[in-house]
Amino acid sequence: MLKIENLHVNVAGRAILKGINLEIQSGQVHAIMGPNGSGKSTLSYVLAGREGYEVTQGKITFNGQSLLEMEPEDRAAAGIFLAFQYPVEIPGVTTINFLKTAINSIRKKRGEKEMEPAAFLKLQKEKLTKLGMDAEMLKRGVNVGFSGGEKKRNEVFQMAMLEPKLAVLDETDSGLDIDALKIVSDGVNALRSAERSFLVITHYQRLLNYIKPDVVHVLAGGLIRKTGGPELALQLEEKGYAEYYGEGEAA
Amino acid sequence: MSSATAKESFMPAPAQNAAALPWLAETAAIEKDKAVNWVKALRATGAESFARTGLPTLGWEGWQYTNLRPLSSVKFHYSADAAVFDASRLPAPLLDSYRIVVVNGQYQPKLSSLPKSVTVQSLMDAATGHAQGLEDALVRVGDLAQVPLVALNSAYLRDGFVLNVAKNADVDKPVEVLFFNTGNDAAIYPRVLYRLAENSGATIIERHLGMGSYFTNIYTAIAQESASRLRYYRAVNESGNSFHINMAAVQLQKNAQFEGFSMATGGKLTRQEYQLQLLDKDVCCSIGGVYLINGQESHDFTVLADHFEPGGKSAQHFRGVLDDQARTVFQGKIYVRRSAQKTDGYQSHHALLLAPTAEASAKPELEIYADDVKCSHGATSGQIDPVALFYLKSRGIPEQAAKALLAEAFINEAIEQVTLEPLRELHRARAAQWLAERHT
Ligand SMILES: Nc1ncnc2c1ncn2[C@@H]1O[C@H](COP(=O)(O)OP(=O)(O)OP(=O)(O)O)[C@@H](O)[C@H]1O
Ligand SMILES: [Mg+2]
Repeated sequence: MLKIENLHVNVAGRAILKGINLEIQSGQVHAIMGPNGSGKSTLSYVLAGREGYEVTQGKITFNGQSLLEMEPEDRAAAGIFLAFQYPVEIPGVTTINFLKTAINSIRKKRGEKEMEPAAFLKLQKEKLTKLGMDAEMLKRGVNVGFSGGEKKRNEVFQMAMLEPKLAVLDETDSGLDIDALKIVSDGVNALRSAERSFLVITHYQRLLNYIKPDVVHVLAGGLIRKTGGPELALQLEEKGYAEYYGEGEAA
Repeated sequence: MSSATAKESFMPAPAQNAAALPWLAETAAIEKDKAVNWVKALRATGAESFARTGLPTLGWEGWQYTNLRPLSSVKFHYSADAAVFDASRLPAPLLDSYRIVVVNGQYQPKLSSLPKSVTVQSLMDAATGHAQGLEDALVRVGDLAQVPLVALNSAYLRDGFVLNVAKNADVDKPVEVLFFNTGNDAAIYPRVLYRLAENSGATIIERHLGMGSYFTNIYTAIAQESASRLRYYRAVNESGNSFHINMAAVQLQKNAQFEGFSMATGGKLTRQEYQLQLLDKDVCCSIGGVYLINGQESHDFTVLADHFEPGGKSAQHFRGVLDDQARTVFQGKIYVRRSAQKTDGYQSHHALLLAPTAEASAKPELEIYADDVKCSHGATSGQIDPVALFYLKSRGIPEQAAKALLAEAFINEAIEQVTLEPLRELHRARAAQWLAERHT
């Protein structure tokens, strides 16, 4: 589904990603762990198509399409979704209006009909209930006045509504209380299917007890230093990242 | 408009300004009708004053940012004849409301409908009937030499109307005042007076629109007696070839409440000026507005809140969206006189530039002579937040639609202050429509 080859990325003139190789098959869940500043969010932004991230080498293919030339909205239509590490507040635009516009824009791009208001309402209700969210929150400005945990939940809610093919979750577990972590993980697990893949960025092995990964990667200093199974996450929990720093790099 | 002439405008009484004279060419036509003496005198004073000053140039106080050259390059004609138009072409009222129709400045009694508590007369009928205090209300405009456009309006003093709201009346529905303009380089000079007697309340929705090319130069006087409440709304959507200039002089007595809001979405050059005089204690007024302009359009909000007595509140909240080569100006001033203790004054202007070629200028000013006051202001001008834009795009919303959504949210924050709910909804819809049309 997703293939990243020798990806080098500069941010503000500095090399952040230095040759990433990563392949995710349909239905798989991959986890990325790594120290602060190692380039995890950078990778997620490059996948989503954020400006200011300069790809100096390498390529990314998504279901056979070359991703790097595509606009963010076209990537969304192709099925990529990024749950932001720091969700953005947008005063004056309600989540409801925002999501309706998003869903219908994607449908339009795919040559499909707009979603009927009744169908939208039903879908929204169903997903809200699953995530233990209050409908009132959707009438406020997107993320405006939301607590840290509420913002993360709202990201997962949007993912559930948009039903992407590849969801990148950037530290969606940070800031969630224990109950919320369970609810959000259940929400993610409910979406797991043979046609849908996940790239889960996290600092905590605990999340991976709930969302069972197929593959775990260690990203440090702009490179994938090690790849393994779920047991790798447990090792990291114990030993930290010390052994993965390249020469001349410090925590 | 050389800097030499700009400097001259500050010098005492030069003889005559050659460029001013064509503007006064049709004043003779209105002298044929029988007007009372003070009207004639005011016309003469206006003409004399304008003949000396001509249109304000960039050197004039208050005109540093709005260049009237596009206006002076057209030869406009005033017509004293009855306005000819097809009544069936007038748009339906915006809301369930009473109505006053004004065509090219002329009040149309047959097309107007009002409740008992509100009386309206054409300006000339009111003057002839010696309407009480009218001369005072119309002549109290200060030194005409300082306000050339009011002087010009005075030179053609004839059109417009006087509206009175009776004491203690609370008008149950809004009064829509439709200013419909039409013509081919027509000059239109309405003068309007709204008077609210003690403890009365009313909502006025002015709509300014039209067809063809014209210059409408309006002087609006608002006189509010003590404890009266007025919501004064203006929706300006003139034809693309037109010029709209309004001076609203608002006089507020003790405990009066004034809520002004203006939405501008069309017209080649628009200037809306407000002079709010908080003449007595505990006056509460808010004035706000939004504009959405593009192409070569320009818009100017100029506001003065002048606090005379203690306990006054004035708030100014303006926002606007500009695209292409559009230009805007916000000049806001809070003036607090020595006796106006406990004044609470606020003003803000925020401009959103959709194109790097658009230009917004702001000149916020505080001039305070009392020591116990709370006054502040803020002005910003910026482009769409790229982080918010990326967030929307990452959810599948195309760039143009995402920008429109963000601009709509931006402008809605100012529309929010309109307390008449159905109008607020209409303004929101109008803003959304304007933004949608931009990129289709
Ligand atoms: N706009 C920017 N300008 C300059 N440096 C940047 C910019 N964005 C990111 N960086 C740098 O790139 C590096 C990688 O940042 P990134 O956000 O990808 O780290 P991360 O692995 O997600 O860290 P964390 O675990 O703290 O979220 C950091 O050193 C960061 O300071
Ligand atoms: Mg990060």
